[in-house]
Amino acid sequence: MNLQLILAARYLWGRKLRTFLTTLAIVIGVMVIFGMGILLPTFTDTFNKSLLAASGQTDVMITHKTGENFSATVLNQIKTINGIAVISGSLERTINLPPDFYSKNSTITALSLIGIDPTVAPNLRDYRITQGRFLKQGDGNVAVISEKLADLIGVKLNDAIKLPTTQGVVKLQIVGLMPGRALVGNEQVLVTLTQSQKLLDAAGRINVIEANLTTKDKVESESIVNNIKARLGNTYTLGGLTSGSEFATTMQNSAVLFNMLGVLALAMGGFIIFNTFRTIVAERRHDIGMLRAIGANRLTIIGLVLTEGLVQGIIGTAIGIGLGYLLGVGATAGMNTYIKQFLNIEMTAVVEPSLFVVSIVLGVGVTLFSGLLPAVNASRVTPMEALRPSLGEVTQRINRIGTIVGAVLLVIALVGLISGNFSLIALGGIFILVGLVLVAPALVKPVANLFGMLLVIIFAREGTGELAQGNLTRQPSRAAVTASATMIGLAIVVGAGGMIFSIVGLAEDMFNRSMGSDYLLLPPSVAIWKGDVGASETLKAKLSAIPGVSGVNSLRYAQSSIQSVSLKTGTGDTATSVLGINPADYSKMSGLDFISGNAQDAFNALAADERNVIVNGILATPLGLKVGDTLPLATPTGQQNYRIVAIGSDVLSVKINTAYISQVNMKLDFNKSEDILYQINLTKGADPAIAEQWLNEIVANYPQFRLVSGRAYISEFMVQYNSIISGFYVLLAVLAFPSLIAILNTLAIGVIERTREIGMLRAIGTTRSQVWKTIVAEALLLSALGTALGILAGLYLSYVFVEGLNAGGYMKMAYTFPLAGVLAAIATGLIFGVLAALLPSRQAANMEIVKALRYE
Amino acid sequence: MSLIQAENLTKVYGAGEAAITALDHVNININAGEFVAVMGPSGCGKSTLLHLLGGLDRPTDGNASIEDQPLAKMTDDALTKVRRRKIGFVFQFFNLIPILSSLENVALPLLLDDVSLSNAKQKATEWLIKVGLGERLGSRPDELSAGQQQRVAIARALITDPILILADEPTGNLDTKSSDEIVSLLKQVSQQWGRAVLMVTHDPRIAAHAERIVSMRDGKIVEDRHNAKSEG
Repeated sequence: MNLQLILAARYLWGRKLRTFLTTLAIVIGVMVIFGMGILLPTFTDTFNKSLLAASGQTDVMITHKTGENFSATVLNQIKTINGIAVISGSLERTINLPPDFYSKNSTITALSLIGIDPTVAPNLRDYRITQGRFLKQGDGNVAVISEKLADLIGVKLNDAIKLPTTQGVVKLQIVGLMPGRALVGNEQVLVTLTQSQKLLDAAGRINVIEANLTTKDKVESESIVNNIKARLGNTYTLGGLTSGSEFATTMQNSAVLFNMLGVLALAMGGFIIFNTFRTIVAERRHDIGMLRAIGANRLTIIGLVLTEGLVQGIIGTAIGIGLGYLLGVGATAGMNTYIKQFLNIEMTAVVEPSLFVVSIVLGVGVTLFSGLLPAVNASRVTPMEALRPSLGEVTQRINRIGTIVGAVLLVIALVGLISGNFSLIALGGIFILVGLVLVAPALVKPVANLFGMLLVIIFAREGTGELAQGNLTRQPSRAAVTASATMIGLAIVVGAGGMIFSIVGLAEDMFNRSMGSDYLLLPPSVAIWKGDVGASETLKAKLSAIPGVSGVNSLRYAQSSIQSVSLKTGTGDTATSVLGINPADYSKMSGLDFISGNAQDAFNALAADERNVIVNGILATPLGLKVGDTLPLATPTGQQNYRIVAIGSDVLSVKINTAYISQVNMKLDFNKSEDILYQINLTKGADPAIAEQWLNEIVANYPQFRLVSGRAYISEFMVQYNSIISGFYVLLAVLAFPSLIAILNTLAIGVIERTREIGMLRAIGTTRSQVWKTIVAEALLLSALGTALGILAGLYLSYVFVEGLNAGGYMKMAYTFPLAGVLAAIATGLIFGVLAALLPSRQAANMEIVKALRYE
Repeated sequence: MSLIQAENLTKVYGAGEAAITALDHVNININAGEFVAVMGPSGCGKSTLLHLLGGLDRPTDGNASIEDQPLAKMTDDALTKVRRRKIGFVFQFFNLIPILSSLENVALPLLLDDVSLSNAKQKATEWLIKVGLGERLGSRPDELSAGQQQRVAIARALITDPILILADEPTGNLDTKSSDEIVSLLKQVSQQWGRAVLMVTHDPRIAAHAERIVSMRDGKIVEDRHNAKSEG
């Protein structure tokens, strides 16, 4: 091990550029995996922390399965159960705050408004008061807040704190201060239960029951909990608030895409490491032969190569983790602005310990695995190699079985694409990559001939084009491995590019359809509605009464879940957002992108006096829902069966499980009449300036809403959308970069092997510039092969992404040909080809003829 | 009993009409401490003989033994151990690892035998002093002259205390002065340090230093004579 470590360290140090470039391949792969591994849990964790109540200080916490409020009489059903020492109901609500609500640059984005019974609640929890007094029965517009919150918003005891509510802005007098919150979550504003019911427009309702038991014994406690469950039925959850898992679904979908990129990046890294080690073994043939001659056995040689891989794997993984951390944290910081604006969530980067394990296993594992075959080949170098001069090998043999298997995989991929079946299409994506890798050696010659003709014209009468073509085809398998690395890099660029262009196209369409009204009143968080405070029906009436307004459409929100047991897939509940729409207004001013069913029938059905629902694609597909199915929605009044009349999505809920019902049914089943978003249209010829003045005056009392013009909102969103996409393209460019290393390595190996040949060419009169051109031409041929395969695979992948999403029923997206991606790939291929050739061609051109002729 | 014995040693490269007999039923014995030079024109089979005696290559027919152990029947690992412990190699192009210092290059065979780094370096220092390179312990091969590089290679060949040194054209890449110094060193290896040395060379002037000269032609030994001139 001593010897292997010494040699590995010296070889790596001796070839600094090579070590740097190869390690870079590992660094990039690990960086992407680690960076994305931070970003996705960060979203989830931030969401959970910000919007889910963190409780658990009491023995039992009871909430409704939907997370919605329920009648306060439920408390009476269970308070008589034996073993309950103290029990209290509360009405709690996260309140998303509009930007700069308290002051400019305020860091508070949300609060928890908690309405408690002041006589019972102190028996459940220890409410310590540091200044003033605690709440008492009969208190009106008063609140107890934490000292930290008071500091943050610059108020003190007896001052007033303002809150956005469904009734407009309300001011509460601060009668007591308590210490800062110890648990994660929002700062709390405590009011009496009666007051919170008034502020939240939920008279006689509560949404949390907390109880302490007479015993701490586990078995006895379980028995009491079971009694409570038996009394309440299965529409209630004991233990904690359940909601927001619709967001987890979104994250899972994103994770699939990013993990795919990470795997592709690592596969490319694997090809590069494999090629690099082949180069290393070729370069050190004499050294290895000598070591064998003086007594190194085969295992020692394998160990030697693998130790070098291990050192690089460890260093590359360590740096990759470091850079991945910066990428994750940087991207978190960069996206914070947008996330804060649209979802009203403050993100803090989360690094899960398992991410380190996964990154290390993948980074070091891929390096060792890729080095294994070259290491075994190195061990086969005989001691005779140390004594015998070398000649550039010519191995034009092509593995026929590999070619046939590759061709079969390509055919299956095509069949899968034609079938329209999502699973087959997705499988085809893998098959096309593996298939192209396998058939690549057979394609080397025809592609080299094709592009070689061009080079012969460019380098006319010098013979360098033909020479380059010949050099490339003398080792088709090596050229194919290099081309495969380039192919994967460029396939990512073209594939992801195609998908992005298609998604942008769809997003623009959906925006125009869904958000195309003249004005919008937007809550702080769009799409993740839970914390948004809406307004009572009076606001809609006020808006409708504005001169020049032709119509007002509003959205309402409730949480729900669907019991999957009665559906096709598995068990458990699927969290779902329910949006309440007024079908008549909605169909005029907004719209859905229908995947199944049609707009007119669907909206008519929603307007009818029965329980009908439209579900979106992301909810319908995994549960196998189709038009005509019954959707069992959990509601505060118990499970209600809705009939699915159409499947369609709007731009705001495209990635969130959503069911659209009528506002009438929402009031009936969810007891919700709070509007959370408004769309306003003006009559033709109405003066926008006057309308805006009216709107601004009304909105001034409802600071939880932001007034924007529909067009401005779309362009605002698209600008941000495009900037995220630009960032994504930078990431893709980083992913494509390692293919440069692959070409460089292959050229380097070729130059080393052909040292004597090059010496001979120089001896018989080839100029330095001709040698230089030969190597550059070879590089261009190599990159042309990789680029051609990359574009082919990329086009397929982009089609797979788009068709996959369509076939999966998530959304209906038109395929946009990624022309920009293809052009970027061609430019990248050409530039990388020339860049990769710079060093080896210089090395070849500057060779001393005599030394080269004597090279062994 | 001879240290090295070869009986009917034959090596044929290729098959059918393209077959070339590089070594044709050669018999040779080498005794402990003997300095033998093998001479002959290019392609006469002298290097092939050295490779087969050193266990670098396998014969097509016949057998070579070292201390009565037949090499032909040995596994690759056993053969590797024989090369590591009983044979030292000196090559025409030195074959030093370019990224290691003189000291590390010489220590290499001991490190392969799991000797500790400090012990290996201590012994390597002793041998480098013996071959006259005590001042160049830390120099890399590219910082040494060709003659000095070959001295390092000889020190490396001797560090495991082998019974046989096989040298393939050890002066083929050196100027006259360096060649004389190297061949004198090999003579010292044989006479002073008691190792058998088998040296392949095409240079009669160098071969003249050996106490026994074997001449080959077309894969056969055509002359095997004692060299009286070498004494003294």
